[in-house]
Amino acid sequence: MRLTVDRKQIEINADPDMPLLWALRDLAGVLGPKFGCGIAACGACTVLIDGQPVRSCVTPVGAVEGDVVTIEGLAEGDTLHPVQQAWLEEQVAQCGYCQAGQIMSAVALLEEIDDPTDADIDNAMGGNLCRCGTYPKIRAAIKKAAALKMARA
Amino acid sequence: MRRFALALSLAALSGLAVAQDDAPADPVAGETRVDRETGLPHWRKIHEVFSHSRCANCHVEDERPRWSGAHYGATRIHAFNVQRGGDGSGFGNPGQRCMTCHMETNSPRPHGPPGAPHWHLAPAEMVWWEKSSAEICAQIKDPERNGGRTLAEVADHVREDALVRWGWQPGAGREPAPGSAEETYEAILAWQAAGAPCPDQ
Repeated sequence: MRLTVDRKQIEINADPDMPLLWALRDLAGVLGPKFGCGIAACGACTVLIDGQPVRSCVTPVGAVEGDVVTIEGLAEGDTLHPVQQAWLEEQVAQCGYCQAGQIMSAVALLEEIDDPTDADIDNAMGGNLCRCGTYPKIRAAIKKAAALKMARA
Repeated sequence: MRRFALALSLAALSGLAVAQDDAPADPVAGETRVDRETGLPHWRKIHEVFSHSRCANCHVEDERPRWSGAHYGATRIHAFNVQRGGDGSGFGNPGQRCMTCHMETNSPRPHGPPGAPHWHLAPAEMVWWEKSSAEICAQIKDPERNGGRTLAEVADHVREDALVRWGWQPGAGREPAPGSAEETYEAILAWQAAGAPCPDQ
């Protein structure tokens, strides 16, 4: 089975029903997406497929059609994605476990809405849970990322 | 827009003149006498399906799908701040689409998300949630509120659409809609043949 993950073609031998998350972590060695709940209820496993966020823990790998981007494929060389940069500058992470998924949802949001309102952020991020309660920092970081992204454009 | 062409009850006759302007897609157009005794039992079968939680949970008038049904306990608004979407498409909002979590097949894991192709909310005008049988009946006959369909096309939609058909194959732990897609298709055609009568309430 052939997948495009983080701009690289990979070949894996996977049961088509295997969750994409397992394929990424156990077969492809892409450890950025995290396992949280296994039922699309926490968002820690979020990746992008053709730019749209999906919970990789419930996505059968055999159903993947399109380019997969994980947290590990966001940066361009040494240049962090604006969302990653903003996350650092706002010091969002506490334990950090959910943050890969949070960042991917935020990236997807900013792909469609350049300057999101609080409501836009709430609507995009409601499925990404953070047991540390870093939500205020997530909101601030998304707004900062929007500004960084526009400044780079 | 495709027009609805049926022999309608007296209350709906005002729309018939408009319907006859365009191609009469239904063979009974303008001919079928409304037979309430024959038609209403068919409608009751249809209503049992449309009002079932597998269908009505996502046929809401507001922005939020529901979680309800025999296995859900108390009715709840769908968690995770899931909404229809600012563009009104029914596919969710940027950053969190319905298909972020709902794949094309049911998750095999306990409490995992159900899945079917193009998972989304029905348009708001197709509301069934907490509507009476008479209200749902009027809606499904109204091309302004049923996606511009004839009743034959409604029947086809019920039988053919993968997301609609999911209602009878909702995955483990979820009560399916009553009967089957085929039985509902046949009930719609039989109801149509009887003049598509609506109940009083």
